[in-house]
Amino acid sequence: MEAGSSDAVVVARVLRGDVEAFRGLVERYRDRYARYAFHMLGNREDAEEALQDAFVRAYRSLTRCEDPERFGAWLFRILVNRCRTLGARRGRRARTFVVDEVALLGAAEEHPAGATAWREEIDRALQQLRGDQREAFLLKYVEEMGYDEMSQLTGVGVSALKMRVMRACERLRELLSEVYDA
Amino acid sequence: MRDETEEDIEQIARELRVPVAVSRSLDARVMNAVRNLPRHAGFGLWSRLITPRTVTVTPLVWGMMAAAVAAFAVLGAMHAGQDLHRAAKPIASALFPAPKAADRSQRVQFVLVAPDAKKVAVVGDFNGWDASHAGYQAQHRGGGVWSVTAPVPLGHHRYSFVVDDSVWVADPTAPRVTDYDYGMPNSAIVVQEQK
Repeated sequence: MEAGSSDAVVVARVLRGDVEAFRGLVERYRDRYARYAFHMLGNREDAEEALQDAFVRAYRSLTRCEDPERFGAWLFRILVNRCRTLGARRGRRARTFVVDEVALLGAAEEHPAGATAWREEIDRALQQLRGDQREAFLLKYVEEMGYDEMSQLTGVGVSALKMRVMRACERLRELLSEVYDA
Repeated sequence: MRDETEEDIEQIARELRVPVAVSRSLDARVMNAVRNLPRHAGFGLWSRLITPRTVTVTPLVWGMMAAAVAAFAVLGAMHAGQDLHRAAKPIASALFPAPKAADRSQRVQFVLVAPDAKKVAVVGDFNGWDASHAGYQAQHRGGGVWSVTAPVPLGHHRYSFVVDDSVWVADPTAPRVTDYDYGMPNSAIVVQEQK
């Protein structure tokens, strides 16, 4: 895909039968959204499954993308829903947090041992939050969305989202208090 | 107190904002999956037949249609007294002329006035709706006028301008075709052989 091609142009090509053009959208959003899926689901396997599901569902429903210029936002909404579904399924399995998964995080930079340990603690604490609180926290502080945008995306009211974020912050502080004190 | 509180959360968020890498095989898995799904074919033959669409027809096209009906009538009258075999042959020839129009093309000049544009391209069914096609990039001729002269096969086509890689603009000087498959503004063009 041409670097300058907008989402709308690529979506138009796909809708006109050019299946291979869809690869451009995958390359454009794969890494950008992997972070959210990884933090929501806590492991690489589930995150990739959620991403793959989201892309395939987006392709299948592409004619329903009302604003192709904002394909990315539409795809993200699908991904958020897939993460909820997979998260609920994962909740029924035994939770294991593999240290190797932490190595995936921050592939772009080297962490000294202390920083890696700190990072592991954060990820561990994040996975202990309730799913709806983790979702709200990630959207607010990691994806840096406003509450109105979050409300549109999740279908949850602004006041409920603020409450979830507040509870998530409190719980994270509680879980990480020992690390803070150390 | 509030600043201090926000700062600890911000510190956590900074850690979590670091990009996450995924397996490169994800692309291949997604593409394999979508290739196995029904292809979107907004401009496929079947879709053209079953999709309702509004087409603005020019007087030229009306004239061509009237001429075709007249030709059919004349041919029918000429061969009314002859046997079916002899009559069918010229009618078939009239309906399906031997030269393939799609094999020939004419150079067509596309012009758009877009004073604020930084880039203008022509997309259409004749170039795969590809805004990056090198032969269909318009040049700025001054005064906000963009134009490109490019080959277009003989026949009926749909096209549009793409401004700055994002905004689709129908040709204001051409008949409009509403594409219900996608909703983008398209224009209609009939390319004929020059005499």
